[in-house]
Amino acid sequence: MIVTILKPLDEILDSISPYSKVLIAGCDGCTQPPRGLREAKTLSQLLELAGKLKGKDFQFKVLSLVKQCDSFLTASELKSQMDGVEAVLSLACGVGVQTIAEIFPDLPVIPAQNSHFLGQEDREGGILEDRCSACGDCILARTGGICPVTRCAKGLLNGACGGARDGKCEMDPERDCAWELIYNRLERLGKLDLLKEYRAPRNYQAKAWRLTP
Amino acid sequence: MSQQVAEPQVAVNIKEEQCSRCSICRSLCPFEAITKDAETSKIILDIEKCQVCGICYSACPAKAIDTIYYDCGSLLNYLKKAKPKYDSDTLVIMCKGSAPDFSGVEQLFGVSNFIPLSVPCVGRISEELILQAIAMGINKICILACDEDYCRFERGSPLTGRRVLALNRLLEQLGYGREAITLKRNSLKVKVDRDLCISCGSCAFYCPYGAPKLESVGGISFDLDACRGCGLCVALCPAFALDLDNWEKDRILALIPRLLAEIEPPKILVFRCQWAVFPPLDGESSPNVRTIELPCAGRVDAFHIVEAFQKGAEGVLIAACPEEDCRQEGVSAKAQHWVKAFRERLKQIGFGDRLHFCTVSRRDPEGLDKELRQFGQRIEAIGSQKEKK
Repeated sequence: MIVTILKPLDEILDSISPYSKVLIAGCDGCTQPPRGLREAKTLSQLLELAGKLKGKDFQFKVLSLVKQCDSFLTASELKSQMDGVEAVLSLACGVGVQTIAEIFPDLPVIPAQNSHFLGQEDREGGILEDRCSACGDCILARTGGICPVTRCAKGLLNGACGGARDGKCEMDPERDCAWELIYNRLERLGKLDLLKEYRAPRNYQAKAWRLTP
Repeated sequence: MSQQVAEPQVAVNIKEEQCSRCSICRSLCPFEAITKDAETSKIILDIEKCQVCGICYSACPAKAIDTIYYDCGSLLNYLKKAKPKYDSDTLVIMCKGSAPDFSGVEQLFGVSNFIPLSVPCVGRISEELILQAIAMGINKICILACDEDYCRFERGSPLTGRRVLALNRLLEQLGYGREAITLKRNSLKVKVDRDLCISCGSCAFYCPYGAPKLESVGGISFDLDACRGCGLCVALCPAFALDLDNWEKDRILALIPRLLAEIEPPKILVFRCQWAVFPPLDGESSPNVRTIELPCAGRVDAFHIVEAFQKGAEGVLIAACPEEDCRQEGVSAKAQHWVKAFRERLKQIGFGDRLHFCTVSRRDPEGLDKELRQFGQRIEAIGSQKEKK
């Protein structure tokens, strides 16, 4: 999923303060838990409460979209909802925000969240971790299902740097050494020979910005 | 500080001098809190293990056990006052863990006017109370227990079943007809609005019982036998697609302004787990505090908290069970976790100190009052700070 975190409410208030009638658009898409109707409704309540303290009366309209990044779905769901709306506060990732901005070129669209990475959450600790850099050249099949591009602080492709201590990264002692994880996993799989393969440096110029599948 | 040392109130106590050491309490206690001393053969209650269900109290033939909650005397006092008030000779005793609202009770038992008596577990209702009620002129007694596998105190519901059977036999012999006491069972569980469900799986992620099943085709379904009605999934459903029998979000929502209108500033609204503290029978009398009982702290809803502030609450207090007392597989701790996170959001708009999460134990009858006093002072301090500005 795309991992997003709500912006500080002060920042959101500041961004919406020039407007009165604001549409808060949740997104039922990939973030977990989805920033859907509940998140949109609760955010509207909080902003109303904060607005009143500052003598500002917002009129919020609250809804949630199936996938804000889908321009067709979003356009068809939103078009009938925009009467009198002066700005949209989006609870989607950066893609959703830009999708709405493209559909309504004359309307200010404000992100309510910061988008961080493609990651996962552990069930107990509520910790979110980066797992995929969307590099466009997946090598997980050769690295035991663990991504060194994302999880090695140096993004190394050909094994550990030698700086790890007790399985932890020298850049950040909280962080596991991705290459040690890969080694252990390949050992379990009986595929340590994969480590003998040489991987050429990535060609970062080839990173796609547009695709026509 | 007062120099006077008041005797601490204990929720349940065995009076040694009255105890006949028959061990009935020991055999009935669902929590192994009662033991027999091997040397002295004294019956000993370990209050730390006790869950205050009241089963031992209701079963003791020697009346050697005291409970400060809902003892027979105070229940009878309540009945004396309630009988003329409700102008009825029908008594409905229900476990609050599974009692629907008034109209639900009416439907369930086919009664229209009745004296309600809501208790935490019907297992604490003794034969004596029932017979005294009949002697007081109650003609019809209905008892609503939890489904046996839903009983929070494990043995309360099955024990009540056996008691009703025996009492009915006795009452028949005394000429009160067959089935003088009607016993029904119920449980309150989750319900899904499929039109609103977005199949995100959050409920499956949070449920401690594995009741929700999410399939890529067909979406979410609930194994209702597994659901224990804590409401955590309802409180955290991102799409407002879930609700809980009798604890519907709209019902709670409607209560908020009504209760806040009854009280004077500084207005404090309490969301309390129904098992954390057992409230007095005659309701709330504080001029500043009103309480919304919830099935579990898991049902506390961020949406309701902010609504309370919007409707004029100056403070919101959440009272949950301590983790070791939680009757819902650690849901209390899960609730505490998200409330803490939500409080950070409230802090950003200056409401952080107006929300307080505390754990109180039914073993400590004064625990909630203490929390409320401290919280009340905090709210007043915030109020006077604001006035100075």
